[in-house]
Amino acid sequence: MCNACGFPTRPGHWTDAGVDNAGERLRLQIRRAQILNRLLNGYGFKARPPGHGPGFALSSFSGRTTLLPDLEAVWQDAAQQLGHPIDPLDPRFTTAAEPNS
Amino acid sequence: MIAPPEDGRLRLTILGGYLGSGKTTWLRHQLYEGAFGKAHILINEAAETPVDDTLLASQSAGVTMLSGGCACCTGKDDLVIALQALCDAHSRHKSEDRQTAQIVLETSGLADPAAILDAIQQDSVLVHHIRVAEIIVLVDAMNAEEQLRTEHLGRAQIEAADRIILTKVDTVPDAGLATVVATVRHLNPAARIEAAVKGEPFALPDLPAVPPYDLPRISDGGEPIQPTKIDIPDDVDWATFSIWLSALIYARGDDLVRVKGVFDTPAGPLLLQAVRKSVQPPELLPPEAAQRQNQIVFIGRGYKGDDLRRSLDYFTRG
Repeated sequence: MCNACGFPTRPGHWTDAGVDNAGERLRLQIRRAQILNRLLNGYGFKARPPGHGPGFALSSFSGRTTLLPDLEAVWQDAAQQLGHPIDPLDPRFTTAAEPNS
Repeated sequence: MIAPPEDGRLRLTILGGYLGSGKTTWLRHQLYEGAFGKAHILINEAAETPVDDTLLASQSAGVTMLSGGCACCTGKDDLVIALQALCDAHSRHKSEDRQTAQIVLETSGLADPAAILDAIQQDSVLVHHIRVAEIIVLVDAMNAEEQLRTEHLGRAQIEAADRIILTKVDTVPDAGLATVVATVRHLNPAARIEAAVKGEPFALPDLPAVPPYDLPRISDGGEPIQPTKIDIPDDVDWATFSIWLSALIYARGDDLVRVKGVFDTPAGPLLLQAVRKSVQPPELLPPEAAQRQNQIVFIGRGYKGDDLRRSLDYFTRG
């Protein structure tokens, strides 16, 4: 791991592919937090870039904030707190819109 | 499939298939024909009867026997250690030798190739040094019906394959063969289907269009899998897609047996591949692959294909 920027988060973590410089990496991290919150908000969670290095700071309905190294850890932590995984195919996400493709 | 560029990692071909499907016979012939060059062969025998190595030793760079249990479960540690040793040896080779070096793993008939893939992804050394080039699964055309009716494992092996080779096809009449092909295609629509007799390639005849076997539900298998191809709309960026897919794989990985496709990212077209919860490190493809970009195939069960599109649409539009 690079001491300056903290990337890559973990060897071979697939979601970190797709960018090839530090600027894009930072943009991706910020954009990801926005998208992530669309999934998390309805469950009482909020994610933000931790301000240094990779991963996310996940705040939950319990008031707890946890620093997590990557997306997989976010899903895992959320599932532990909720008692079930956050499912993108939950009716709340699939009944809102008609598919356009 | 588009060949990813050489990246110095050792190529690993996983050869799977049910007990008695003809893996060693097929591999022996392939080695004789030079299909895998001078590959190092790893052989996993769940039942400790190490005879395959003597059949294969003369045509390969080396043979390692793993007879301490099935490499996808009890023998997983032995497999990881053997692969690490090969990576270690590989890193000491001259660079021109490294380009051609490869490993073929002949799994035991009881192994789920997806579990082996997962073991490699989970190991912090192997994930950097090994690229899984292909999962080849052999299916015994003579016994396929009974195996697929009763064995979840037989179905799981087919579902995990990139290439499926039907063996013993000369013993099955065309009508029966047509049903086997239809069933295999139904279980894994994304895989290439070929045939072989005693290890030699066999051109499949023109087969009548027939329905697949009516496979019963198996308690640990569930309903048959369905393919869903999604053309990702232009307004879906990599950030959105990677978040959505990682959540989907975490929540539905056991049902989502295969995800495969090319997605255009700021760095270039990425080849995405997942088998159940195990996502392979995406390969950056040459720019000419861009014409196939943003089309992802999901193969799985327990969800509606349209729900995938609706869900992705929800997160794209916010």
